[in-house]
Amino acid sequence: MKIAELGRSALQEIGAHRTRSAMTALSLSIGIAAMLFTFSQTAGMMKRYDDALRLAGPGRLVISPRRGYAGKGLSPGLTFSDAREIRLRYPELYMVSPRNSHYGLDGRLDSFKNGDLVGRGITPEWAKRDWVYTMRGRMLNERDLAESARVCVLVEAGSWIKKPFWAKYWPEQALTKHISRRDPLGRRILLGEHLFTVVGVLKEPPKDLDPRWFRTWGGSGQVLVPLTTLQRSLMPRYQKNPDVVEEIAVDTGDAETAAAYLRRIKVLLLARHRGEEDFEIKDYREIMQSALKQMKEFVVSIMIIGLVAILASGIGIMNVTLATIFSRVKEIGIRRALGATRADIIWQFTSEAMMLGVLGGAGARRSASSASGRSRRARSACSRSARYTWAARC
Amino acid sequence: MSAPAAITVENLARTYQGGYQALKGVTFSVAAGEFAAIMGPSGCGKSTLLNILGLLDRPTGGTYRLEGALTAGLGDAELTALRRARIGFVFQAFNLLPRLSALENVALPMAYAGAAVAPRLERARALLDRVGLGRKGEHTPLQLSGGERQRVGIARALANKPALLLADEPTGNLDSTSSAEILALFKELNAEGTTIVLVTHDPAIGASAQRVLRVKDGLLA
Repeated sequence: MKIAELGRSALQEIGAHRTRSAMTALSLSIGIAAMLFTFSQTAGMMKRYDDALRLAGPGRLVISPRRGYAGKGLSPGLTFSDAREIRLRYPELYMVSPRNSHYGLDGRLDSFKNGDLVGRGITPEWAKRDWVYTMRGRMLNERDLAESARVCVLVEAGSWIKKPFWAKYWPEQALTKHISRRDPLGRRILLGEHLFTVVGVLKEPPKDLDPRWFRTWGGSGQVLVPLTTLQRSLMPRYQKNPDVVEEIAVDTGDAETAAAYLRRIKVLLLARHRGEEDFEIKDYREIMQSALKQMKEFVVSIMIIGLVAILASGIGIMNVTLATIFSRVKEIGIRRALGATRADIIWQFTSEAMMLGVLGGAGARRSASSASGRSRRARSACSRSARYTWAARC
Repeated sequence: MSAPAAITVENLARTYQGGYQALKGVTFSVAAGEFAAIMGPSGCGKSTLLNILGLLDRPTGGTYRLEGALTAGLGDAELTALRRARIGFVFQAFNLLPRLSALENVALPMAYAGAAVAPRLERARALLDRVGLGRKGEHTPLQLSGGERQRVGIARALANKPALLLADEPTGNLDSTSSAEILALFKELNAEGTTIVLVTHDPAIGASAQRVLRVKDGLLA
């Protein structure tokens, strides 16, 4: 029998048993969609890893206080002075960027009043990496830092190009909402108990285009201030040592030198901390790999679920096909009597199963592609933001 | 030298699993162009014999020659090819495929024989005309009466121009009028040279046949 006739016969049978065919195709769809989604996630994950590394810089090290470390009282902790010393000792480093944050900061700008802002104390070197913003006004400079100037840069959170259904009730940042209505540039904002001048506004890229937007907690709004100003004016009074920082980001500028500088900085900090290893230095690639490992475990679990779904649907289909064959034994006998070979009969049932497989696969492809659409947009955007980074570096 | 008989069976036996002997050694022959009826009580082995003659079943003993050729050594594919080319089946329950139209049912054996679409549909139409159903080609079996379904069944049996027509109680499900029409059709086909072997309980049909083979307890009486 010709292929076209087998196809027609298969379609006739599928049409004659619509519910059974639809259920079979649905179970196939679910299994295949899970697999396709997993594969696309894996591919997207690898791409994001590359993009994130490119954004972060090739020789990125992250120095942070060691969690759960019981100090002996000898070390002052990780401080801005440590960052200065690193910069002084190794002027060839591309970036030494200390950062501290004050969460739950009170802020007031015109009618806007909020007690959940995040004040981030930074140095001008902060802008050397991860730069995916659109700038209005100016960025913080060395003079602001030296004078502990009461100036700030407000961060306007990215909006959505196409808001996904799950983000429908995602609250918009209160500060972003306010400054989108009235330009704050050059105006005064009350942070804590002090008035600051808004010298710049950083606009983040749209969330769909920013692969990093999930990673940072911005409270009701982020305000960037010089690190020295944060230490002097905004840190809570109970803070024993206002010089401490939550992180020092270092970029050696070259992936191959990262390991060597990691050792050197460790020796330097150990000496400064009087032998107390109350800090940890991580190669950013290790952090990413650790995150990647977690993601991989997640992906593997999805893949297992997909395989189980495919296996279950496969057994279901075999069962249904067997039931179909047994219910059509008489028809098989008639066809054999009319001259059908065994191969004709086998092909007849196989083409029906293949047709259901194709229908299920097509359904799966549709649902999987819509599910992975966000990842794809984010991936392409990530590449765009990476290009933008180097072009817009200040 | 005379033409070989259409069917020659010698000591044909068929024993099923469990030891039941449906045929215990049947010997007879049917000449080409003959119209033979097989009669006997229910369970005597008539249908088993017809299945073996139609190459749908294999005997467990004896020999069966179709048009002089021994069938014992043939494989499944060869038997299928032989059945497709030389034998037509007519069933008591019509056995038309319900989702196909009358025309498609008649064309189906030709599809299995590898005929192209246009010629086989043309021949199917001609065969339906022949059995008086030229206008009902697009009807499905459910839209036809019992007699019409059986006529479609006969047209289908004739699709590949078989030399041998086997019919298993072809009038068993029909009223007397339809039975008479079907019998007339068989006679017409036989007159054109088709060998016909049919199984029947109907003495009237038996009387119309040139020869009656009576089977009882797996043996020819």
